[in-house]
Amino acid sequence: MFLRLMSISWRSIWRNGRRTVITGLAIGLGLASMLFTDALMQGMGSHMIQVATDSWMGQGQIHRNGFLETKKLELTINAAAGLLEQLAQDTTVAGFTPRIISPASVSSARELKPVTLYGVDLSTDTTVTMLNSALVQGQYFSGDSMEIVLGDELARDLKARMGDIIVITVAQLDGGLASSMYSVSGICRFGTQDLDRYAVFINAGSADALLNLQGRIHEIAVRFHDIETGTDSTGAFQQTYTGGGNRALGWPQLAPQVDSMKGMIKISMAIMAFILFGMVIFGIINSLFMSVYERMFEFAIMKAVGTRPGSVASMVVLEAFWLGVFSTCIGLLMGLATLLITSKTGISFGEIEFSGIVFDRPIYPVISMSSMFVYSLFTIFLTAAAGIFPGIHAARLNPSESMRRSM
Amino acid sequence: MEKSVVEARGVKKTYDDSGVPVHAVRGVDFKLEPGEFTALIGPSGSGKTTLLNILAGLDTPTEGEIRLSGRLISSMSGRELSDFRRDHIGFIFQAYNLFPVLTVEENVEYVMLLQGIPSGERRRRVMEVLEQVGLQDYAERLPLKLSGGQQQRVAVARAMVSRPDLVMADEPTANLDSATSGELLDMMRRLNEETGMTFLFSTHDRIVMERARKIVVLRDGKVSEIREK
Repeated sequence: MFLRLMSISWRSIWRNGRRTVITGLAIGLGLASMLFTDALMQGMGSHMIQVATDSWMGQGQIHRNGFLETKKLELTINAAAGLLEQLAQDTTVAGFTPRIISPASVSSARELKPVTLYGVDLSTDTTVTMLNSALVQGQYFSGDSMEIVLGDELARDLKARMGDIIVITVAQLDGGLASSMYSVSGICRFGTQDLDRYAVFINAGSADALLNLQGRIHEIAVRFHDIETGTDSTGAFQQTYTGGGNRALGWPQLAPQVDSMKGMIKISMAIMAFILFGMVIFGIINSLFMSVYERMFEFAIMKAVGTRPGSVASMVVLEAFWLGVFSTCIGLLMGLATLLITSKTGISFGEIEFSGIVFDRPIYPVISMSSMFVYSLFTIFLTAAAGIFPGIHAARLNPSESMRRSM
Repeated sequence: MEKSVVEARGVKKTYDDSGVPVHAVRGVDFKLEPGEFTALIGPSGSGKTTLLNILAGLDTPTEGEIRLSGRLISSMSGRELSDFRRDHIGFIFQAYNLFPVLTVEENVEYVMLLQGIPSGERRRRVMEVLEQVGLQDYAERLPLKLSGGQQQRVAVARAMVSRPDLVMADEPTANLDSATSGELLDMMRRLNEETGMTFLFSTHDRIVMERARKIVVLRDGKVSEIREK
């Protein structure tokens, strides 16, 4: 009987083909919009994570306990050599680079600014960061101890140009002040305020000498083969490299604002889905009620010949189900077509800054099979659920009353 | 002694839709014995359709009791009544009222599907009854591809295929020309004689009256006369 009801309901939705197609297009458009928005948000999220991790931070970092909170020069990594060796053997690690980090002030001929000084290990830096490709002027470090790379906003603030002399002043490990002159060899742009306005990069050897660290380092930035490796705060990376006074952190702990953004995106999508599908559901209910009212006599006959109310209700719900399946097919086609095009061309928002991250490149929507599956199931389920109310109405129709009214 | 197929005692029906009571049926006592071929006649507004609906359990009387095949239908729950109609009553309506999305075969098969009869048996009985109404070659057609007379013959087949105790027909010839009406009535009378199934018509069609063996005249919601031929 159920199969026959399925068959009857499928045929019934095509009695008024135009209405079914229009309703299907409305629901399908809603689904396609959700798929596209979700993919765009995923793309934005991926872009944010990429900007946050690939450009400089890395997907994981190791520090001495307390360094991140205080940035104290003396909090260098314990037994750094052993850790570097261990990282070199770690199969989950695609690259790693040690760093020196210190508060400093930089001055040009016209300006003086507080910055964070980064000592860059030239042999490993390119395996983790995008400093090389972030250069908008000049070139990457050649090994000359006088070279300095500035963020473009800092260069603008300092009114410094390529080849200009910059003086860095730092507090050394023993408390004394030290200054050194550098020549601007490159100007970079990462798209984040922290790096573009408040950071300078010099050769690690020069930084070591300037700060008198004698080979000690403050940070090891790590890139994994799979970014998920660093996301779990109790994962293998954190377990393995935390200890001996050091602490290993993944990118969600290092950049919680980016992780929060992912959460915010999920909540925004849920709200949007609620509003959009809420609008759609009333459209479906209206359409199904129209269909039920048009067929009052027919439902009356069905009941008269012995169809139980539950079967009448089931038939209306099954019609809604088929409408959902049809609409989902339309929605998937429209959504996939849009996504396939935009995932190749990207969508440019010009240059906007959001949560400290600059979106100056096109955003590429990320097609997620799981999202497509979930939204499709949700659409079918919701459309079928929208049939419950009209279904109950049809089931409760009094046969003789309905026949009388339909005459 | 065989039980009456229909037994109505003191049946009254009053509608109060617009605040003004309308007495559609004003106390009907009525019996229908097995195998009868009876026409319920009367002018428009005399309460024929209302009485037919009440007798079929599609509507509830304001007063009185109805027994169908010996069972008191006023004591049945909605579900019991639904199952009772499915198993004991066949319906034929004025406007054919076949399910437009189902083929002739599927329309005829529908009630047996509700009864849970196995598909082989269903198919056999459908073909048998379609042959009886002369539509065996139209099994795969949709109702809208048939003439009015053919559609009403499908309705007759649908009403009879589950072998009910009683077939109720509400103005079955109202939408048919007289030649087709005559053919349809002759066919129904033949089936009545062959199967012994009881038929009750509500009508004011002369063709039906001519072929009925018993005529119950309804006037102002009351049985005014019963004529046996």
